[in-house]
Amino acid sequence: MDFNTLLKKEFVILDGAMGTMLQKSGLKIGAIPELLSITESRKIVDIHKQYIDAGADIIYANTFGANAEKLKGCGYSVQEVVSASVNNAKKACEGTNTLVALDIGPTGQMLLPSGTMSFEQAYEVFKEQVIAGKDADVIVIETMTQLGEIRAALLAVKENSDKPVICTMTFEKNMRTFTGCSIPAMAKTLQGLGANAIGINCSIGPDDLPPIVEELARWTDLPIVIKPNAGLPDPSSDDYDVSAQDFSKSIEKIVSSGIKIVGGCCGTTPEYIMLLKQMLENKKYQKPQYEIQSAVCSSSNTVVIDCPKIIGERINPTGKKRFKQALIENDMNYILSQALEQVSAGADILDVNVGLPEIDECEMLTKTVMELQEIVDTPLQIDSSDPKAIESALRIYQGKAIVNSVNGEQKSIDTILPIVAKYGASVVGLTLDEKGIPKTAQERVEIAQRILDSAQKYGIPKRDVYIDCLTLTASAQQEQATQTLEALSVVKNKMGLKTVLGVSNISFGLPCREMVNSTFLTMAMQSGLDLPIINPNAESMTGAVRAFRLLTGADENCTNYIEAYTSQNKTPVQEIKSNDITLKEAVQKGLRGDAQRLTKQLLETCDVMEIINEMLIPALDVVGDGFEKGTLFLPQLIQSAKAAQVAFEEIKTKLINENKAPVSKGKIVLATVKGDVHDIGKNIVKVLLENYGYTVIDLGNNVEPSAVLDAVKTHNAKLVGLSALMTTTLKSMEETIKLLKDNNADCKTVVGGAVLTPEYAKTIGADFYAKDAKESVDVAKIVLNQ
Amino acid sequence: MIEIHSINKNEALRYLGYLDEEPTYDTLIALEKNEKELLKVIKPRYIYKCFDLIKMEDKVALKDCDLVLSGESIAKHLYYCDKAVLMCATISADVDKLIKKAQVEDLVDAVMLDSLASAVVEQLCDEVEEEIKKEYSDYSTTNRFSPGYGDLPLSIERDWLAVMDAQRKIGLFVTHGDMLTPRKSVTAVIGLSESKIENITLCDECEIKEKCEKRKRGEYCGL
Repeated sequence: MDFNTLLKKEFVILDGAMGTMLQKSGLKIGAIPELLSITESRKIVDIHKQYIDAGADIIYANTFGANAEKLKGCGYSVQEVVSASVNNAKKACEGTNTLVALDIGPTGQMLLPSGTMSFEQAYEVFKEQVIAGKDADVIVIETMTQLGEIRAALLAVKENSDKPVICTMTFEKNMRTFTGCSIPAMAKTLQGLGANAIGINCSIGPDDLPPIVEELARWTDLPIVIKPNAGLPDPSSDDYDVSAQDFSKSIEKIVSSGIKIVGGCCGTTPEYIMLLKQMLENKKYQKPQYEIQSAVCSSSNTVVIDCPKIIGERINPTGKKRFKQALIENDMNYILSQALEQVSAGADILDVNVGLPEIDECEMLTKTVMELQEIVDTPLQIDSSDPKAIESALRIYQGKAIVNSVNGEQKSIDTILPIVAKYGASVVGLTLDEKGIPKTAQERVEIAQRILDSAQKYGIPKRDVYIDCLTLTASAQQEQATQTLEALSVVKNKMGLKTVLGVSNISFGLPCREMVNSTFLTMAMQSGLDLPIINPNAESMTGAVRAFRLLTGADENCTNYIEAYTSQNKTPVQEIKSNDITLKEAVQKGLRGDAQRLTKQLLETCDVMEIINEMLIPALDVVGDGFEKGTLFLPQLIQSAKAAQVAFEEIKTKLINENKAPVSKGKIVLATVKGDVHDIGKNIVKVLLENYGYTVIDLGNNVEPSAVLDAVKTHNAKLVGLSALMTTTLKSMEETIKLLKDNNADCKTVVGGAVLTPEYAKTIGADFYAKDAKESVDVAKIVLNQ
Repeated sequence: MIEIHSINKNEALRYLGYLDEEPTYDTLIALEKNEKELLKVIKPRYIYKCFDLIKMEDKVALKDCDLVLSGESIAKHLYYCDKAVLMCATISADVDKLIKKAQVEDLVDAVMLDSLASAVVEQLCDEVEEEIKKEYSDYSTTNRFSPGYGDLPLSIERDWLAVMDAQRKIGLFVTHGDMLTPRKSVTAVIGLSESKIENITLCDECEIKEKCEKRKRGEYCGL
């Protein structure tokens, strides 16, 4: 018997709980149940046998928490515990057709960016477990709440085993996991990565399942798995409240929704499984009949491509000096702010392109994708010509991304499509090849067909191939505009593919570009454009998409349109712009609008250094003094700092545009130390230091000591600021300082954070202690103004 | 289930460094705006469980499980108790995300959200404590005591969460550096006694007594 043969049965029966059975037989609370596979193997074999007798087709080996994280310090290796557990299960199955599943549960760690475990760390934990459990017939990944973690587990399975794999996650009644992962996001992502069956386990009882199963059936054509709890546990006794009879009655009600693989989780016993099997004996499997839609997703947000959806193009250095500067300076905040701006302007998907000859694109793209995931739930389009960069970004992307792009060249097809297929992404296919961009619509359609055929050969479904018929410049090749639209129409309507198009190139070299752009956009949408790549901040472009959705009925009851534009008509509270205010006063009062306007004016007549030294810094000094004396408070200090920052941004933009070197009074490296992810304090320090004209190299949080040393050397920084908020992470602070000293780094250190004291700072070898952001500026003055 | 519909803004202001001073009108307006944003994303979740205690001089063990609360502070804190309720409370990972996003968009909002979120977790703990006191109304109770107070080490969080099955039940994790994630979360223990409890103040012995804002204000955290 193997898994695929098993799937030919009407239903596949899984076992029930292991933990519940062990607790009944006296397992201590909080003890590691997997160790019993070694110490009390007979008991484990007996439980397995009870489930086999009850009718289970697959039993889960006692390996749920048998990973390096959870076994830490228990005295046994992962290999020992996993093989003992799989052997017990195999022994129980002797003489039967029952299959043994290697059961993989969560690591118990939150992954980056919410926690501190990296994708690769999680991957290694799972890889070890997969290899240790190679004798199992099937692999099950279950009870996951983080899409990032289940992806790491699934990739570890796919890359280290050829066994079929079942994936189940734990949802609450609101159809989300604890970390916010939605059902469509789970379905799209795990099916894309090659799971053999997907579904739900643990958390809720069978009565709460119907809406969840129905939702799942709309998003996948894989077999659906359910393994619910026996209701809810009593908080003190931990007894579950749904009886074996009621359990199977509740599940009977969802047979029609399309469940295929069924078992029980916490609180269920062999009796539950027996009754479940009896109930299913005369039933027929009813495969869901939904058509699976084209869609991409982040972990919490799915964008269905059923009407034009906007891909924001602004995260891209091409032709943008300020953006290039940000990339070179590793100024993640600027890049992230570009993302937020586009999302609030109406972008549905964000294109991410950080390619620049001066930087390591692979590293930067991965880092940007990681950070973007933390602050926006908009799905991402990975835009790069470097296959390595694409792969490393897809590897850590917690969702289903779009890859931009493949084209008709054989080399491109052979390098890009395997990556797209492996990670289950969607792909943009450009209709050009070795010979360049074809002149006629017909030739472009032929390339589209070639890309589609190749994609399908790699196992990429048709719904995940989006074709770009390419916009050419109307001022140079006027006749090409109609060719693009014609090709687009055929690809969409005859080939049945989704289409994507970068629009703004059409108007290159013309006056009033936006007029041409928005008209061309409207024509393209009418021809069948699904995914315009535009600048969403351009009102006429986003407006055209919104209006199109309204007029084609995609925006039902005009709800979204009205929402977008009524909220805009509400006049925001305006800062009073008085003419007699000075820049110094504007900064002191924290008035950003005024600070920006006045700086712009002043830049026309004044020297940059005069603005900084005679207006901005004195203003900040006044605020800093107030803060020190306790007459002003943190919100006001930051408010002023932000106003000064706006002024600095104006200055910086002007200098960059004039190709002048930026103002810098010296370089400072800042980091929240290894193991600590509190970074709000560090970020306040950063803003304030920048306001005083220092260049801050911000390494972020959870930073390895060696990364601090590297940054000090690379940038020749004379001051390092380290932040730690917890007693446990002060050790990393000490290590970092020691590493700097051992390597004779030519820099001073300043430390801060809630649990630090001046005395403690001294004992760990720091040169300075700063109790707040204001004091760190004082330290910077001492160190760097010498 | 406990629901929270408004946040104790005075507590949030204290985290922002205000003692008795009146915040400006603009600060209050901004605080209210952030309160609304925060209330939209919080999902209070909590669990608690009662254990019998085995008391020793410098530690307290929980019966029928492997967790040992080590240190003299906790031994003193639970001196009069024969049972204790362990609790875990969190307001969801979305709060971390909201604060992170605000750090990019507007740092003023970020510090306000951070302070408000700390205030909400405290509020949630207060309400959970009330619920526990109601459920165990036959007992007198101690104040809440958390890992990191006195000499009860933070390194205990890992086993604490395991015993409470907190990851599965409320989505609460702990990092290798012993930090709870989601970040705005609390673990605490409340001692139960059939006789009267004299709450012992451990303020003078506390590790952070030099820096404690509450202590400076003459307040007491409950330790």
